[in-house]
Amino acid sequence: MEKMDVVIVGAGLAGLATAYCLADENLEILVAEKGDFPGSKNVTGGRIYLNPVRDLFPDLWDEAPLERHVVREKLTMMAETSSTTVELRSDRFDQEPYHSFTILRAKFDRWFGDKVAEKGAFVIPKSKVDDLVVFQDGRVAGIVADGDEIYADVVVAADGVLSLMAEKAGLRKGQEPKHYAVSIKEVIELPRQTIEDRFNLEGDQGLAQLFFGALTQGMMGGGFLYTNLESISLGLVVGIEALMEKEPKLEVHQLIEDFKQRPEIRVLIEGGEVVEYSAHVVTEGGIHAMPKLFGDGILVVGDAAGFGLNMLMTVRGMEYALASGAMAAQAIKRAREQNDFSASTLSYYEQLVKDSFIYKELQTFSNVLNVLENPRLVNLYPQVFCGLFEELMWIDEQPKQKLSTTVLQELRGNFLNMDTVRDALSFLKI
Amino acid sequence: MNIIVCMKQIPDLQQIRIKERKPILEGAPLIFGDMDKNALEEAVRIKEKVGEGKIMALALGPAKLKDGIKEALAIGADEAVLLMDPAFTGSDSVATARALAKAIQKIGEYDLILCGEGSTDNYSGQVGPRLAEMLDLPQITYVRELEIKDSKIQAVRNMEESFEVVEAELPALVTVAAEINQPRLASLRQILQAARKPVQTWTPADIGLAEEEVGEKGTAVEVLSNLAPEEERKQVIFTGELDEMVGNLVDALTKEGVLGR
Repeated sequence: MEKMDVVIVGAGLAGLATAYCLADENLEILVAEKGDFPGSKNVTGGRIYLNPVRDLFPDLWDEAPLERHVVREKLTMMAETSSTTVELRSDRFDQEPYHSFTILRAKFDRWFGDKVAEKGAFVIPKSKVDDLVVFQDGRVAGIVADGDEIYADVVVAADGVLSLMAEKAGLRKGQEPKHYAVSIKEVIELPRQTIEDRFNLEGDQGLAQLFFGALTQGMMGGGFLYTNLESISLGLVVGIEALMEKEPKLEVHQLIEDFKQRPEIRVLIEGGEVVEYSAHVVTEGGIHAMPKLFGDGILVVGDAAGFGLNMLMTVRGMEYALASGAMAAQAIKRAREQNDFSASTLSYYEQLVKDSFIYKELQTFSNVLNVLENPRLVNLYPQVFCGLFEELMWIDEQPKQKLSTTVLQELRGNFLNMDTVRDALSFLKI
Repeated sequence: MNIIVCMKQIPDLQQIRIKERKPILEGAPLIFGDMDKNALEEAVRIKEKVGEGKIMALALGPAKLKDGIKEALAIGADEAVLLMDPAFTGSDSVATARALAKAIQKIGEYDLILCGEGSTDNYSGQVGPRLAEMLDLPQITYVRELEIKDSKIQAVRNMEESFEVVEAELPALVTVAAEINQPRLASLRQILQAARKPVQTWTPADIGLAEEEVGEKGTAVEVLSNLAPEEERKQVIFTGELDEMVGNLVDALTKEGVLGR
């Protein structure tokens, strides 16, 4: 009979963060990862925001293999045959300590896993956890893997967005398609110099770009492009319910094929080699899809706890995962002091989460889904604005009208109606 | 029944990328060679059959071995001896066999030494036979079936057009072929238990070898280059009407054996 102090299911950011924060306590910690190595099954756009978590892991960031620090932010609205982009370039973003880096999970998580193993925790890949050991009284007492039972004082469900462990523990019920999206991504390798020339970057500066509009062909979602040191992360996200309702049916990978063919994108990835192709479910429900965060002998962290948020201009998740891991570790330390791993003692974790930036932001942006789901956001508004911009810029054989005339002409049919008013109101709520 | 299993870690060949014909080894995880796993599996089966004994995993390699050897301990080795000193880096088959032989002499007691018939990367197949010579042991290579009877072993060898059945007195050295068994996977529990099994690390001095006898200095063979074969594109271009082109493309692909069966 094998007994550990803590078993963490999943060596993603939340699982490894929990282990990292507990590793100094002289505990027998097991992090069971189903992939070939930590990071092999993790996908992000993506970029990480360090300010909320820098102090939680003070020794980590100097050596951490992050990609570029982002100094250019672009937002692109795509119409069928045109697009409009707003770009921010900022000195502030270019000053240390940098607030945001692009990141490659296969690289970062693997390194993080090694760091955690160095501290003495068992980080064991290729280990799929099939079930929880649950006693008669409902208490979670361990895990089942390869038919073996491994006991622990507490199990941490860090197994991601579709957390089997949280489900087995009865902490989360059926998931609604409207709260989830699927993301497809390619990592495209390009020489450093090419990246720096094409995106106007110097040294380790980076660019992050978000897209919405025609690229998701009428469905809720958006696209992204991030510059890494020697590659581009390019991809898109599309709502699962929207995919289910789309007629005629669409193969999801077709979306990224079409996206790559857009003139805006094609020139940027010209000559690149696809070195990674991945897809993943993404949590979009925010606070509406949060499961219970704890039970007798169990805590839920990271994506498994629904800690992901699309704030329209920025997408959050990785720092949430790291912070929730640190909080889980804190709660576990306290439970050990009292030698009590019951729900009431572990509820301290929920307290910490509710007092943290994670919960506060989930609450503040609880109305985001309304805006994201609005079909006009991807169909009408990009079309109208790009169309307007196009009209204003086009010079014809006919003498040009007053600018205000052009504006009114373009907007009149599409804008001055109840839908627009409702939409404006929903925007005010975020 | 004391068995020593010699094992070598190599980069996972599936994870090696080729860039400008050169293999990129960084980032490829280190794993034990296929036939090394067969050797270890055979050792575990023999121990299970005989009912008692000790299996010692012996490996020469880089510092990552410290972590890598856990897999061998999880599958069934009872102990391990590692030769990880930087001085051993760059060892060819000769230098490796020399170091392993000295280590085995220091280990002392053994009935059987098992090796893979060749490593999955270079597949020179030399270490086993060289080791047997250095230790003055009978050697049976390319073994697909092994049976221990009292203090004798009987083995079936893979020959090109036939099988050869041979017998030898223990102690002996055997190199095993892939057909000998199906290596088991370690369970999570076994991996956890592996952490408690004893692992010793020996330097060249520990095994009585001087600097010139190990690693690059002790190596007889110099690798001049390691390149992937030149890829020659067929450069066939199809022209004509769309239907015609597609038809011709499908025919060409079928002829290549890429389509249809």
